[in-house]
Amino acid sequence: MESHSLKRPTRRVFLSSVAMTLVAAGAGPALARSFSGLLPWQEGVANPPLQVRPGGWLFLTPEEVATMEAVVDRLVPADDLSIGGKEAGCVVYLDRQLAGTYGTSGRLYTSGPFLPGLPTQGYQAAATPSQRYRAGIAALNAFTRDAKGGKRFAELSPEDQDALLKEMEAGKVALPNKVDAKGFFNLMLSNAMEGFFADPIYGGNKDMASWKMLGFPGARYDYRDHVSKHNQPYPLPPVSIAGSTDWMAK
Amino acid sequence: MKQLFLSLTLAAATLSGGHAFAQAPDQADEIIRGHYQALLTDCAACHTKAGAKPLSGGAPLHTPFGDLIPPNITPDRETGIGKWTKEEFRSALKQGVGHDGKRLYPAMPYPAYTKMSDQDVDDLWSYIQTVEPVSNAVEANQLPFPFNIRLSMLGWNMLNFTPGEFKPDPAKSPEWNRGAYIVEGAGHCGTCHTPKNLTGADKDGVTLQGASLQGWYAPNITGNTHIGVGSWSDEEIVQYLKTGQNSHSIASGPMREAVQESTSMLSDADLKAIAVYIKSVDGGPSDKPKAVAADDPHMKAGGMIYHDTCSACHGLEGKGAKQLFPALAGSPLVQQPSAETLTHLVLYGSQGATTAAAPTTPSMPALGWRLNDQQVADVLTYIRNSWGNAAAAVAPADVKDKR
Repeated sequence: MESHSLKRPTRRVFLSSVAMTLVAAGAGPALARSFSGLLPWQEGVANPPLQVRPGGWLFLTPEEVATMEAVVDRLVPADDLSIGGKEAGCVVYLDRQLAGTYGTSGRLYTSGPFLPGLPTQGYQAAATPSQRYRAGIAALNAFTRDAKGGKRFAELSPEDQDALLKEMEAGKVALPNKVDAKGFFNLMLSNAMEGFFADPIYGGNKDMASWKMLGFPGARYDYRDHVSKHNQPYPLPPVSIAGSTDWMAK
Repeated sequence: MKQLFLSLTLAAATLSGGHAFAQAPDQADEIIRGHYQALLTDCAACHTKAGAKPLSGGAPLHTPFGDLIPPNITPDRETGIGKWTKEEFRSALKQGVGHDGKRLYPAMPYPAYTKMSDQDVDDLWSYIQTVEPVSNAVEANQLPFPFNIRLSMLGWNMLNFTPGEFKPDPAKSPEWNRGAYIVEGAGHCGTCHTPKNLTGADKDGVTLQGASLQGWYAPNITGNTHIGVGSWSDEEIVQYLKTGQNSHSIASGPMREAVQESTSMLSDADLKAIAVYIKSVDGGPSDKPKAVAADDPHMKAGGMIYHDTCSACHGLEGKGAKQLFPALAGSPLVQQPSAETLTHLVLYGSQGATTAAAPTTPSMPALGWRLNDQQVADVLTYIRNSWGNAAAAVAPADVKDKR
């Protein structure tokens, strides 16, 4: 009954839980604080996300930028519905994320053992997202240089780019340096979607373009006045964490 | 049996080293009454620093003339008031002249305490004798020249100070007189709520009509029905002082501390007396100013900001939610002549008072990071002029000053 692949994560979960228990027991008094009488609160403290400003690149090299701009423009092409991924700032979003804790897996448990895991468990290897992009983009361009007549990915025609991305998605391409083409495609797709749909404060979704396309009202949190209005479109424009142009007196 | 009782009493007297027990029974009464006086006068508000031992010296008071540090008033002989006599203590509270004839600055509210009865001041003295002596030297006078010359207070007193105990008004009820005695005397409400003249003394004829201090605006708390508490019932005022909140408002800023340390621990009868008295105080004209027009561009922008940022808690109609989110519609605080408190609340947030009856402590988040000066001004102009509210528009420069 027990399959090998099912047993491994169980062992890992077990080890993690033992580790957690030890940490919790050892550092218990330091971690646990009790409050009575008054909830802790400090004046003027908000800890908001920082507004990403376009301009300059913090992690990606110019060649990587050109490659990723080509990729996001194929994943989110400019059409009747919306602007394209490049114009929406998906690569700005990606660059800032890779330069931050996401890029270094700074907020993940990333010590070994590194085992393949099940597809439902997501990425399980040691490389951080920033390492995967550096290796993945280099492998992609090395592949096109050899297979597509010396051209880099960004220099291919949109049709050729689509075809290659589809092959990567299907796992039919063997990229150099053992880069997992399918895994890298999925990583780029996830991050492109995040950049396109996340709050503009993180650098993508320029002017809330994707939210306007979908009719998503944005960073609002109270719809009591609209709950009973069935089959009626929500009348208000989207609002970002950073605000809205309607907040300026005209 | 009688002998057993006697020996038990003796044993108790021997065992207890505490001041209260060692003194005669009538002094215990005095000390208990004195403790209540200490709640009324709220000595701790100024004389106890956060986290420090009671009355061992306070955090600096930032006055328009410079900083003053409330001294150590524990019975410590070297650094407190342990060498003072009862007469010197009485003179300090009621005449503004302390130990060795040293003149106090009126940041110490002797112009209010002068109205206290000798009995109440003496009780307070008895209580302070029981406080743990703490050695903590405080240099109270941090004022720059010429304000650092204590003798200058002689002149100040000639101009501004009328010593003398509270005189009851026989035409009014005992309750009203008790309220007036507390509010004008030990409670020293006017120290914050009465506008000050150029020398920092209470202005005449505008008692309790609202004043600015320490980055907040202490609102009008008179019978004015528009911006005072004239539209609140006595019960609502009592509830506010007792619990820190009522269906109109939640205490925050300096008033939060006043509620927590003082008013929440006063007797219901005294709170009712306070309510009766302050509602009888003339609060200036109750006429509403003309509201800023709803189609003003700043009102429109303010309305959008309100909808996107504030309405989830305070409601689209500004009605708030009882016990959690103060109502803005019809709120006297929102319609004060000065928007200083509102600006502070929006920029830095605030936590409501916590009391035994209302321990939830709802808090307002700081929004200074999300709104620029113009936007803070516009949303304040909007809440001050919507749902029947009417008050002066707020300018971005007023917000900039508070950052």
